[in-house]
Amino acid sequence: MANMAVSRIKREFKEVLRSEEIAQCSIKLELVNDCFTELRGEIAGPPDTPYEFGTFLLEIHVPETYPFNPPKVKFLTKIWHPNISSVTGAICLDILKDNWAAAMTLRTVLLSLQALLASPEPDDPQDAVVASQYKENFEMFCRTAKHWTNSYAKGPHKFPDFDTKIQRLKDMGVSEFDARAALSRHNWDLNRATEQLFS
Amino acid sequence: MSSSTSNPLPDVEPQASTSESSEYKPQQSTQYSFKPSPENSKTSTKADFTDDEEKKDDSMYVCNICLDIAKDAVVSMCGHLYCWPCLNTWLETRPTRQLCPVCKAAISKEKVIPLYGRNSDKQQDPRSKVPPRPQGQRTEPDPNTGFQGFQSFNGADGGFHLSFGIGAFPFGFFASSFNFNDMRPSARAPQHQQGTPQFEEDQFLSKVFLWVALFFFSWLILAEA
Ligand SMILES: [Zn+2]
Ligand SMILES: [Zn+2]
Repeated sequence: MANMAVSRIKREFKEVLRSEEIAQCSIKLELVNDCFTELRGEIAGPPDTPYEFGTFLLEIHVPETYPFNPPKVKFLTKIWHPNISSVTGAICLDILKDNWAAAMTLRTVLLSLQALLASPEPDDPQDAVVASQYKENFEMFCRTAKHWTNSYAKGPHKFPDFDTKIQRLKDMGVSEFDARAALSRHNWDLNRATEQLFS
Repeated sequence: MSSSTSNPLPDVEPQASTSESSEYKPQQSTQYSFKPSPENSKTSTKADFTDDEEKKDDSMYVCNICLDIAKDAVVSMCGHLYCWPCLNTWLETRPTRQLCPVCKAAISKEKVIPLYGRNSDKQQDPRSKVPPRPQGQRTEPDPNTGFQGFQSFNGADGGFHLSFGIGAFPFGFFASSFNFNDMRPSARAPQHQQGTPQFEEDQFLSKVFLWVALFFFSWLILAEA
């Protein structure tokens, strides 16, 4: 039975390879080790979202009990999204927890994550700060998410005003990520971000 | 489930890959990259994949869980095909939420239908730990006459002997001999009878016959007196 996880992953590779999404460069899957337990996924940001043109890397761990239990997946690429932790990349998605079904595959997981990028669920958040910004200041959320996509996922949208503020904090000795996170959390209010960082 | 990590694949050589995993680069365009391992292991891996490919294309009867051709095949009421060992493991993994892995319809062990191909015996799965696959349920053809019960009883048991001692008669007799399950040429295994519609029906019939027989006996006693 232990080999089932391995033989499943082998077959799933073929499924992903044959899939249309590969042809469209929308998802990717790679092996990291020869035991077929560690994989790297990649999804393209869906069109008409702040993540458009971005490329997001995922760490996938396949448990020995796969496919009876879901793979453990998290974002390696930093992302600003209500259901994904901006710090750890942890994902809040039902199919990766209780709603997992043994017939699901890594391909359906990647496609579900892509769907999650297109339709966040702020009422079931992983990152509460992002979720409240999404609900209360949607425009600010979109700009911030685009900025993160540009900074970490090769997205095209640059925001010079954001970069200036980050540089100000970096000049004070704050790391770039901490500066970006603090500013994002405070709707790019430099004073409040500074307060949080130095309090 | 024993460990899969400590058991290297026969076709892929184990390899210290921790250093390589850290040097992953997103720019690499290889979507399907095995680690550069010694030549022979790599080619054998490829051969293995082509074998799988042919096998899979041979048949549409692929288990929805292991993605291999279904062994000891069962089909759920919603029509989804599985190996019995695969489905059994899935149901045991989530005892409280018994859902079809494909369509999430409610399913249960009692309500899956086994599929018997012509040579299905040869496909028997060697994993002995798995409980036996549920048996097929046979329904007898509809009886033609209303008083079928006694006919079939006589036919199967070589006669309904009324010379039976009246004193020894009452209920033990019916409990032991009036067992319709034993008379049917049924493929069912005893442990799966409880709770099936067939079982309920038999119970009901037994009760009816008990009362009919009681009436018959009282009539005999009255007639003799
Ligand atoms: Zn199976
Ligand atoms: Zn189903």
